[in-house]
Amino acid sequence: MCMAVPSRVVAIDGTVATVEAFGQQRQTSLMLLAEDVAIGDYLILGAGGNFAAEKVPQEAALEALAYLSQVLADGQA
Amino acid sequence: MFPEARLDVALRVRDGIVADVAVRSTRLVQASRLFAGRRPDEVLTLLPTIFALCGTAQVLAGLSATEQASGLPPSAAQLPARQMLLLAETVAEHGLTLARDWPAHVGAEPDLAAARRIKTAMASIRPALFPAGDWNHPGGGTVAPQHPAIAVAIAAARAALTSLLDADIAAIVAGPDQFRAWVNTSRCAAARLIAEASDDALAGFGRGPFLPMPEQGPADLSARLEGERDGDYLARPDSAGRVFETGPLARQAWHPVVAALIGAHGPGLLARLAARLVEVASSLQEMDELVQSLDADHAPLACLVDGSGLGLVEAARGLLAHRVELEGGRVKRYQILAPTEWNFHPDGPLARGLRGMPATADLQRRAALLVGALDPCVACSVTVE
Repeated sequence: MCMAVPSRVVAIDGTVATVEAFGQQRQTSLMLLAEDVAIGDYLILGAGGNFAAEKVPQEAALEALAYLSQVLADGQA
Repeated sequence: MFPEARLDVALRVRDGIVADVAVRSTRLVQASRLFAGRRPDEVLTLLPTIFALCGTAQVLAGLSATEQASGLPPSAAQLPARQMLLLAETVAEHGLTLARDWPAHVGAEPDLAAARRIKTAMASIRPALFPAGDWNHPGGGTVAPQHPAIAVAIAAARAALTSLLDADIAAIVAGPDQFRAWVNTSRCAAARLIAEASDDALAGFGRGPFLPMPEQGPADLSARLEGERDGDYLARPDSAGRVFETGPLARQAWHPVVAALIGAHGPGLLARLAARLVEVASSLQEMDELVQSLDADHAPLACLVDGSGLGLVEAARGLLAHRVELEGGRVKRYQILAPTEWNFHPDGPLARGLRGMPATADLQRRAALLVGALDPCVACSVTVE
């Protein structure tokens, strides 16, 4: 399944953000986003992760992360 | 870390042809299993974040399954509003492919500004239809269509596509002659890619036995989902041994432009690329027509009862199926079958199309083009062994 992992922005350098999810950091382009992004925001990355696809509200991101933690613990991942 | 879902396609060459195709998937096809025990509205809130790439289609399939399970048909006014959301996502997803991915295939810079314009315009439709944000409520949300804003959004996406493609997309796919003329004269990246794919050697690359997905899905879909226990069907679906192709080519094979290309070259790379352009044009046209049928509607009082339901949605990449069983106001079982599982099945259209193809020096690139034309919803690598 094409699951999206909400990733928290930990640094921004121009149009590139460093994001973190499940202890892993990666860089992603903010070029496809219309809205402003700040450190602490949660982003959904597109397939492959090179581009951020969407900013999601913190509450929705935390709920999704809690669910994905269960998936991981359940051994479905 | 959370493992990244991906596909790896390995081509084994023998005697100058692709003798075997191995498709390995790490997609989490059973992740929806853990929806069990949650309330349906919780699931419908989680879906668009967890499956963000086609989040609208996921919610619409979930709504349809939940409503069917509860014997709760949405009112007549909800249907055009939902169809509008679905088409907006299809245009945004295909637009992203045309603006970001196609230029890379011909060594051009992606047009991220155009991609952003299309995406932003399409994203503005949901709040212009369901300002209360309750579009994901079983039975339907409060529809309060702002017709002018929706018309402006459609026009903005069309304008961004026109700048991307050097011409109005409806005119490009008006007929086989118009399509050919655009391919031969435009210097935009999309036309250059299609010009390259029009070469005899490439046009039919990836043509295999063409098994388009039936319009309402395979006849045994519901029964197979119901009987599924170990995740095998969700990972590698079939119908009496047949693995269908789903997505733009299956849906648009009747269109004169696509039909002419299938007739000349078979259901290969060129027909699949053209089908995506045709689908963007037809989606925008359907959106134009739908604007007139959007009426205001109240959110009904929905009462969910026990039962099981199957929700089918034609998402950007193909048929998306959700099946739900409800018991005591909670989800007892939740299954999702996504289009990528059909198209990238070990015996599906990609594998069938690649088997027997000549092992030319540029085989890896050709195969990557075919993968792109079939548009998996996760990253996909191609190796030649």
